[in-house]
Amino acid sequence: MGLEENLPNGILLASLEKVVNWARKNSLWPATFGLACCAIEMMTTGGSRYDIARFGMERFSATPRQADLMIVAGRVTQKMAPVLRQIYDQMAEPKWVLAMGVCASSGGMFNNYAVVQGVDHIVPVDMYLPGCPPRPEMLLDAILKLHAKIQDEPMGPRRAALRAASGERTEIIPSSVKYAKK
Amino acid sequence: MTMAPEEPKVEVPEGYVKLTIDGEEVIAPKGELLIRTAERLGTVIPRFCDHPLLDPAGACRQCLVEVEMNGRPMPKPQASCTMTVADGMVVKTQRTSPVADKAQQGVMELLLINHPLDCPICDKGGECPLQNQAMAHGRADSRFRDTKRTFPKPLPISTQVLLDRERCVLCQRCTRFSDQIAGDPFIDLLERGAHQQIGTAETAEIYDAASHTASGKPFQSYFSGNTIQICPVGALTSAQYRFRSRPFDLVSSPSVCEHCSSGCAERTDFRRGKVMRKLAGEDPEVNEEWICDKGRFAFRYATAAQRLRTPLVRNAETGELEEASWTQALAAAADGLAKARDGKGVGVLPGGRLTLEDAYAYSKFARLALRTNDIDYRARAHSAEELDFLASRVVGTTPETGVTFTALEHAPLVLCVAFEPEEEAPAVFLRLRKGARKRRTKVVHIGQWTTPAVSKTFGELLACVPGGEASAVEGIAQHAPDLDEALRAEGAVVLVGERAAEVPGLFSALHRLSERTGARLAWIPRRAGERGAIEVGALPTLLPGGRSVEDAAARSEVEQVWGLEAGALPGTPGRDVTGMLNALVTRDLDGLLVGGVDPADLPDPALARKALAAASFVVSLEMLPSEVTEHADVVLPIAPVDEKAGSFLNWEGRRREFSITLEGTGALPDCRVLDTLGVEMDADLFTQTPAAAAGDLARLAPKPTGSAAAPDVPNGHVPKAGDGQAVLATWRQLIDEGTLQIDEPHLAGTARPVVARMSKASAAGLGRRVTVSTERGSVTLPLEVADLPDGVVWLPANSPGSKVRATLGAGHGAVVTIAAGGDQ
Amino acid sequence: MFDALKGFGVTFSNMFKKVATEEYPEIGAPAAPRYHGRHQLNRHPDGLEKCVGCELCAWACPADAIFVEGGDNTEEERYSPGERYGKDYQINYLRCIGCGLCVEACPTRSLTMINFYELADDNRQDLIYTKEDLLAPLLPGMEQPPHPMRLGDNEQDYYVNGPELARDRGVPSGETVETSEEKAMQ
Repeated sequence: MGLEENLPNGILLASLEKVVNWARKNSLWPATFGLACCAIEMMTTGGSRYDIARFGMERFSATPRQADLMIVAGRVTQKMAPVLRQIYDQMAEPKWVLAMGVCASSGGMFNNYAVVQGVDHIVPVDMYLPGCPPRPEMLLDAILKLHAKIQDEPMGPRRAALRAASGERTEIIPSSVKYAKK
Repeated sequence: MTMAPEEPKVEVPEGYVKLTIDGEEVIAPKGELLIRTAERLGTVIPRFCDHPLLDPAGACRQCLVEVEMNGRPMPKPQASCTMTVADGMVVKTQRTSPVADKAQQGVMELLLINHPLDCPICDKGGECPLQNQAMAHGRADSRFRDTKRTFPKPLPISTQVLLDRERCVLCQRCTRFSDQIAGDPFIDLLERGAHQQIGTAETAEIYDAASHTASGKPFQSYFSGNTIQICPVGALTSAQYRFRSRPFDLVSSPSVCEHCSSGCAERTDFRRGKVMRKLAGEDPEVNEEWICDKGRFAFRYATAAQRLRTPLVRNAETGELEEASWTQALAAAADGLAKARDGKGVGVLPGGRLTLEDAYAYSKFARLALRTNDIDYRARAHSAEELDFLASRVVGTTPETGVTFTALEHAPLVLCVAFEPEEEAPAVFLRLRKGARKRRTKVVHIGQWTTPAVSKTFGELLACVPGGEASAVEGIAQHAPDLDEALRAEGAVVLVGERAAEVPGLFSALHRLSERTGARLAWIPRRAGERGAIEVGALPTLLPGGRSVEDAAARSEVEQVWGLEAGALPGTPGRDVTGMLNALVTRDLDGLLVGGVDPADLPDPALARKALAAASFVVSLEMLPSEVTEHADVVLPIAPVDEKAGSFLNWEGRRREFSITLEGTGALPDCRVLDTLGVEMDADLFTQTPAAAAGDLARLAPKPTGSAAAPDVPNGHVPKAGDGQAVLATWRQLIDEGTLQIDEPHLAGTARPVVARMSKASAAGLGRRVTVSTERGSVTLPLEVADLPDGVVWLPANSPGSKVRATLGAGHGAVVTIAAGGDQ
Repeated sequence: MFDALKGFGVTFSNMFKKVATEEYPEIGAPAAPRYHGRHQLNRHPDGLEKCVGCELCAWACPADAIFVEGGDNTEEERYSPGERYGKDYQINYLRCIGCGLCVEACPTRSLTMINFYELADDNRQDLIYTKEDLLAPLLPGMEQPPHPMRLGDNEQDYYVNGPELARDRGVPSGETVETSEEKAMQ
């Protein structure tokens, strides 16, 4: 938003932060970056059986400027790396990256000259999702964990510094535990 | 009509025979074993007990083949590892003969009856001949339904070698190795029949077996690691490597041993940036297939917790060493060295463990950046006579012109003077023993007592008082005419060790002996880098390639190659180690550049300490913190051999190149550090990498030897011991408190017992322990009686509880006080 | 006119059909019984580890995701029956492709896979699972190693009589030691 950077630290922001983060996490629009087999699972997640629309994410965007979350699904080759970075740069802030599958996360079994050994060599990654490929539940789990992280994101550099100093980290809880029916 | 061309008739040369293997005619030299002839043909007959360097045993029966002689087949399949070829023999291996194949499979099945199925936890699993052959030729399932024979395991043969008798197939490779090659019968076959097993005298006692080893002696060997390597199953394993990794997970890299001057070929196995084990490499010219335990097991010094990894600079205010960046440290070092150089000058002590390339960088750095000849690599007792000897007899010798391992094996006579082969150069000892065993080489030792090496080389001892070696050599013509005669024989060799520097006149006497009899003379130092350091001129009187610093023509040659102005190189010989230390104390020298030198190794450790304290600026290039570090103003960490490339020059003058084993650790070799330091001091060394340094050195072709004057020093007087005194004989044991053996508890356990030795007459009345003292300190050790001359005491030089230099400040040939040490 | 009604009709009729969407995560994390989830290092019925540190899993791994280093059991400090145990055991889940070749390679059935798959995390370090993360939880009758062999004098007893020993130790019947984590999850 930009506004929060200029506001003084104090009573207003703690609640505003919650509201803003709630809004952000519940309307994540993914930029598809399907590169290989993982993309098939990602498409399944978008389908009716797993229905990613439940989390406000049904609009898989082919326009980076309308997206907040880049799901890198599949191995990133050295040739694809600059393209990926360009798409990422075109996305508007705030934005997040989810490395889906072991290849995107670390190169996976493709430990060779052609494949980037983890997409975090090119863009900052907020959530690593193992699996080859991860099943749709795993993707949903990763997205929900990312939601939890977004919800805790501090607003503005001062609060970010405060949070970093306190050493607080969002607890990563398996979604089936966190959202289990009571 | 066409006719088939006649088969060309092959003439069988003299000394060869013709036989048929699998229908193919072969010509083989007489006396060759069938298994090798078949191997040359490309037919590998499975085997366990057979080893090319051991005598045939026919113990495992895995190599059975069908043999027919003079048209009559032998009634049963024969072991091809014990049968020599004969004319007209017809041999069928498993390839063509179902009988041989069935016999081999049967033997395999029998061997596996008692062999446990524990390949997943066996260290040999993955590189095991038994496993491979069972997979290739064995049955898929076992017909054996009864209980397997089991033993308690593992059984420690020593702290380093563990025995698992369940896995043993009784091939007797280990017992034959220890008996034939090493000469230490520490391991033997016990019991008979189904109870037959491998063991030692001690294990026989523990487990109350009916028989003992032939010798009944406790374990004592410097070569026990080889039995682990040649064991064809996982029966012998090393305590150090046990369960640490699997062969399929290791990356192997050929390397060269950094411990002694033999330059043995090794194979270094590492995984994930850490060396897991070292194995003997194969080099028939040098170490054949054997290495000593020190070379095999002592490598964890490189991963020691205290290893220096970042440069350190002494804070001028607090007086403490503080971590610094390379840039800061190099700038501080260059600044301090330049100031000291422009003052009274800087001395250089590179130490004797450098690679050829690193030593060259030191030599060039001293001349270019420090503009001095004050460089001496000899971190041990030394003399001016030795310097002359090295310049006239040693520098420039190569395997083509000098003595080699092969020459030792074939020599009719080898005379070892002030040299203890088993302790100082184990590979030399193995060759001497091989020569003595196989070719009846006569080995004569001029020493103090009948050491294990003397008896194991079937040698003769000419005992003399320490310091009296020179007179003993002079006296050969008069008192031992038969030896004098034998030295005149073609190929006779005289070997001399580093200890000779402590005996005035010995080098001169040996030179005269060699001139008189024509025997070839070889100098075998103890450390790996000594021979290379001489070649590159890390000495006060020599420039690279054996050029004398006093020779103007040689100097200008070097100046040209190094691109210097005429007259840039100093023409006066520099100071030797003691000279430099004295000069530091008297403030005639300001700075010191020290490589891998431990002050306790120097002839006078107290003087060294004083000098280090007195020096105004000290730069230390070290891998591990030492006493020098405490006095250093700048400490620059350097790489161990596994983390750099380079080459050693072994005592033969043979270039032993090795490439980098562990890449990307960030550790820099000395030559790189000195090069950068040189740049900071405005001197270009061109030694950025070992390859560059070697290239630069190659432009300075060695000058033929013989130009320097031979040493000519009169014999020193033979030391005499008065009442309550003795003359000290001392040398280092192979496994002792050396810096490169830290962090190796298993290896340390195989060291020889630390005892003092005296003759029976001298030991009388001293009790079970003896105290040896000088005005500096004293050493008390258990006393053992040996055949030393009267009035002589022998101490290990650097073993636990007996650090002769550090405690007594004395060396070989010194007179010490003797007293009873109490019975404790 | 009818077309529009027909269109709405499709929507309307679907309101009475069974919903295809799986209610993950509310219903838990379903998986087929033999799903290749994360690994588990199993225990003997007395709690000793089954892993002998043989590294065959690391050898079999096509992605080089497993690192094992063996260690020596001593009488004072025993982690597994026999001489050898896995001192260091790591699986990098950012390399693991879940192929299960490691499970096939395991000679002691120490390594198996359970159904747990919610592994996503926000840093690479935490996705390298170490021995502590992978070891099976202690079931009734088990105790935390190191401790001496409780079920026999040597490892033979453990391997030959495994199921009986488990029953005698009071491991709940119908429950194999390998599947404990599955139950423990719920």
